[in-house]
Amino acid sequence: MSHAQLDPVYAPPFPEGALPVLRNPQLRKNVAHAIDVIQAKRGRLVAEKTDWQALRTSGSAIRAHALENLDYYLEQFEERCTAAGGHVHWATDAAEAREIILKLLREDNASEVIKIKTMTSAEIQLNPYLETAGVRVFETDLAEIILQLGQEEPSHIVVPALHINRSQVREIFARTMGLKSLSDDPHALTAAARTYLRQKFLAIPTAISGANFLIAETGGVAVVESEGNGRMCLTLPRTMITVAGIEKVLPRYQDLEVMLQVLARSATGERMNPYTSLWTGVVPGDGPQNFHVVLLDNGRSRMLRRPVERQTLKCIRCAACMNACPVYRQTGGHAYGSVYPGPIGAILTPQLMELKHAQTLPYASSLCGACYEVCPVKINIPEVLIELRAQVTDKERKQTLRFFDPLYLGLRMANLLFARAWRFHLAQQLGRIGLSLFTRKDGWIHSLPFLGAKWTQTRDLRGLPQQTFHEWWAARERGTK
Amino acid sequence: MSAAPTSRQRILASIRKATVHLHPAGSAQESPVLPRDYVRRGTMSREACLALMIERLREYDAEVVECSPDEIPAAIAAQLAKSGRKRFVAPEGLAAAWLADGVEWKIDRGLTTEEIEETEGVVTAAFCGVADSGTITLHHSAAEGRRIISLLPDWHLCVLRASQVVETLPEYFDRCTGPPALVTFISGPSATADIEMTRIKGVHGPRFLHVLLVRDAS
Repeated sequence: MSHAQLDPVYAPPFPEGALPVLRNPQLRKNVAHAIDVIQAKRGRLVAEKTDWQALRTSGSAIRAHALENLDYYLEQFEERCTAAGGHVHWATDAAEAREIILKLLREDNASEVIKIKTMTSAEIQLNPYLETAGVRVFETDLAEIILQLGQEEPSHIVVPALHINRSQVREIFARTMGLKSLSDDPHALTAAARTYLRQKFLAIPTAISGANFLIAETGGVAVVESEGNGRMCLTLPRTMITVAGIEKVLPRYQDLEVMLQVLARSATGERMNPYTSLWTGVVPGDGPQNFHVVLLDNGRSRMLRRPVERQTLKCIRCAACMNACPVYRQTGGHAYGSVYPGPIGAILTPQLMELKHAQTLPYASSLCGACYEVCPVKINIPEVLIELRAQVTDKERKQTLRFFDPLYLGLRMANLLFARAWRFHLAQQLGRIGLSLFTRKDGWIHSLPFLGAKWTQTRDLRGLPQQTFHEWWAARERGTK
Repeated sequence: MSAAPTSRQRILASIRKATVHLHPAGSAQESPVLPRDYVRRGTMSREACLALMIERLREYDAEVVECSPDEIPAAIAAQLAKSGRKRFVAPEGLAAAWLADGVEWKIDRGLTTEEIEETEGVVTAAFCGVADSGTITLHHSAAEGRRIISLLPDWHLCVLRASQVVETLPEYFDRCTGPPALVTFISGPSATADIEMTRIKGVHGPRFLHVLLVRDAS
């Protein structure tokens, strides 16, 4: 049961998935508050950067170049990471990645593992798999602990527990940590998590992380974080397993001079996140002496073929698009039925999965373009949404069932009418006569029968004018002669 | 004869099939000319740059104290005394003169995790400071120490020389002679905003970051 809600295969379509949040005022308030805070901070810090657009342009170009030459840079990463003492594994899909990780844990005799927040592990549903296999998983990011102990699902990729407020966190911690007198002050809640985890960090010798960036030039891995739980997991254990999507690679170490300037500002509205760690293979005497990277494809390589879809993989997971999205602001993250919510989720999920599992997602947008405007690597999300909508339509059109679908019937009719001028003019005249029956004196149509009622239920329709432009022009020409 | 392809081969083949039309000449281009029109070099005076570094650090709730190169040992001793802590850890390469009297020192020559966990504070050098974001970078040389010693103790005093402070992040990268194997970028003490976006200082990393800015000739 545990991840079914965010498994695109089982999740309900978007309009249905959005209902629980839309009907829950507390949840909407929590989401809106968190987003307003991040957006205001981001706005201030982006505005102070005089070269913001130049950074976006470079960020976009670096990511695009890496993707266009992905085989080259992945092989380079593998070679240099291996030379530095790391072990590189390749997984074509989620199942293979899970098996590789479990095998590594078995070799390490690990019955417990500590984890840094990683969306990629959520994508492959690693935690429930490991728990079933008898490995206890301890999340160490504060938000992830809240979710894990509260048996909740992430609703955002950077602040995954933003839908849960302090009194709900208090309730979860009091219940699961046995702290009856815990207050709902965020300081007290954070301190409780610190105490809870300290012993885990010191005692559990195996850790799993994601990666923000893989550096091809050096074989290094970078993790960007705030709390220090990442540094704990990267430093104390003897074994570290990093799972990373194949698209995470950057050509050079120096490329971080762009990425680190745009990432924190976009993600949390900070000039820089408190901690960024970079390590290269195994460094004798410092950190885990047994290091593995699992490179995950899981649908990514087939997205590289066409530029429209390929740009999706430029994503650096900052979540600025969901913070800017008017739809996400109303529905929160769970509605998207995937661990990747918001605009980036709406284009990523349908491409990673078979389209049929997520075909309502490309429509979960007003195409206002706010996501494109804030994206630090210039992913034209509306363009990809429209392309995916076209794919959904192409697929639907082929289904015989759709032949009698009123929408498709109407569109075929329109196609017929618009094809010839005379048909169009005839339709205009007939429409004028027909609609005049429903047009009130004020020139507006307030209600239509049958299918038309679906439109007039929520809005009025202006009645057709008595004369079209063509008719007016023709009459004018006649008059002047 | 033909063994089933490995996952590595399958993934690389799939990538090549999808991108082959992008480089018809064959191999990938490693040093492409990409647009880099962002600000590389700072324009501030030294004084303004240092003032910005201090301002940014203080915004992160880090404490900043300044001193001249001669005053380093005394300034460190004063900071240690003020902290009220007694047990400190130091990297192996830290100058002996910096190990102030009156407190207990453990020098990290392969200390165990338990030994480090027993200390209350740490003193390290730094590689570079970036004023624009108030960031300190550690490359974990002998004077900066292993990653674990600047992580477990709750109190971190970082000695940063004015000559190590640059204005922009790209200037830090220009100072790297080659890509380092280990790097930690530190921007203020450990923090979280996971509960209602309220910023809480100090989760797992050091809750207290002190910076001793040494006014050396730069």
